[in-house]
Amino acid sequence: MNFFRSKKLFIILIGFIVLVVLIGYSLNNRGHLNVGEKIVSDAVGWVQNVAQAPVTFVTDIASNISDFKTTYEENQVLREQLSQQKSVAYDLQNLEEENEELRSMIDMTETARDYEPIYATVIARSPEQWVNQVTINRGENDGVQENMVVRTAEGMIGKVLHTSGGTATVQLLTGFDEFNRVSATVLREDDSDIFGMIEGFDEETEMLLFRIIEESDTDIEEGDTVYSSELGGEFPAGITIGEVNEVVADQYGLTRIAMVEPAADLFDIRNVIVVNRSIDQPEDDVEEGDDES
Amino acid sequence: MTRRVIFPLILFVVMVLSGVALELLPQQLLMGTYMIVPHWLFIMLIYIAIFYDRNDTYYAVLYALIFGLLFDIVYTGILGVYMFSYALVIYIVRGLKKMLQGNFYVLLILSAFGIALADLSVYTVFTVIGLADMPIEVYLLNRLVPTILLNLLFLVLIYPLIIKPIRKWGRELT
Repeated sequence: MNFFRSKKLFIILIGFIVLVVLIGYSLNNRGHLNVGEKIVSDAVGWVQNVAQAPVTFVTDIASNISDFKTTYEENQVLREQLSQQKSVAYDLQNLEEENEELRSMIDMTETARDYEPIYATVIARSPEQWVNQVTINRGENDGVQENMVVRTAEGMIGKVLHTSGGTATVQLLTGFDEFNRVSATVLREDDSDIFGMIEGFDEETEMLLFRIIEESDTDIEEGDTVYSSELGGEFPAGITIGEVNEVVADQYGLTRIAMVEPAADLFDIRNVIVVNRSIDQPEDDVEEGDDES
Repeated sequence: MTRRVIFPLILFVVMVLSGVALELLPQQLLMGTYMIVPHWLFIMLIYIAIFYDRNDTYYAVLYALIFGLLFDIVYTGILGVYMFSYALVIYIVRGLKKMLQGNFYVLLILSAFGIALADLSVYTVFTVIGLADMPIEVYLLNRLVPTILLNLLFLVLIYPLIIKPIRKWGRELT
């Protein structure tokens, strides 16, 4: 009996050691799947693709019904906005043409603003909410790679954490931390743009934390829009991240942190666009910024 | 023979479905202060442990290891957390079940206890490795309690569907 008990204890201890080894292994290789994981992700992704169809059908009906209720009011507002939009669109076209002309004059064909979109659908969301991940139905075979930005029509929602053949896992902005950062910027009239990093999410207020780099710490205000910046080296510039809601000092009082309300709805995500920056990645020289690991 | 296939199949489907489960829940539940984690896989494992396993078989623990690992691969990317938590708790539940009779109330109590233990164990691991930073009292109130309640609701809902076949298969096992 005594021997039997110690055998049980032995097994549990071995299990615990295996657990620690596995966790250590997967934390080290976060972002890269091994062959086994890829096969499992692909197989499960395939089934999720099938299972997701009826679920989308039901939820679509539900959301359609609630949409109907607000259609009339929305229509009124949109019509007003549309009339203003026309003049803006005209201006935009003028500016774009001018921009292109000027650019061709100085032989600059690509900018960090251009990107190639890959359209995808969310097929699953991690049911346990410690890691904020969703799975999308496009993978390596479609050209999705690690660290690409994922956005919806409203704005950025996250970045690709790892990929398998037919699926990819997206780390949502809500799950960002010191190891998953996005460089961001607030545009200013003259050359005094504000730079910083999105490096976390505050669960209580549901705001993103935008740490402002000291040098550019000028005059951030409520209501400023925060965009992604090309300085991170991996993301295209100009993707909306959110709107500044409040500016506070960080816990050590050294830098300031802006609380940013995400532009995209991070809880109800269906169709996403994976953004592939068309300009080549900078080589490992001067431009090496913060490399998202 | 069919038994050998049908449990892995059911467990696999349940695991896949829990990935789309959050889309079915109303948005207010997701956005609000309360967080709900569907532990459907775990509930199926509890059914297997209580109504299917005999005293000398370890199917539930074995399935917990396999599908816990799959869950880790698909949903968290951190291997071993769910595998270890589920297997350990199912093992404990299996031990407790030997002392009690396998009926509905025992199922309810053991499940509530098991879900709490499993979720706590996952919380502990994630806190230790730094993925979760939630004060314990917030966790208990906003996450653990609603999670237990909603999972028990799921358990009660599937009870009429699942109890007869699983008892039958359990008898065939002897």
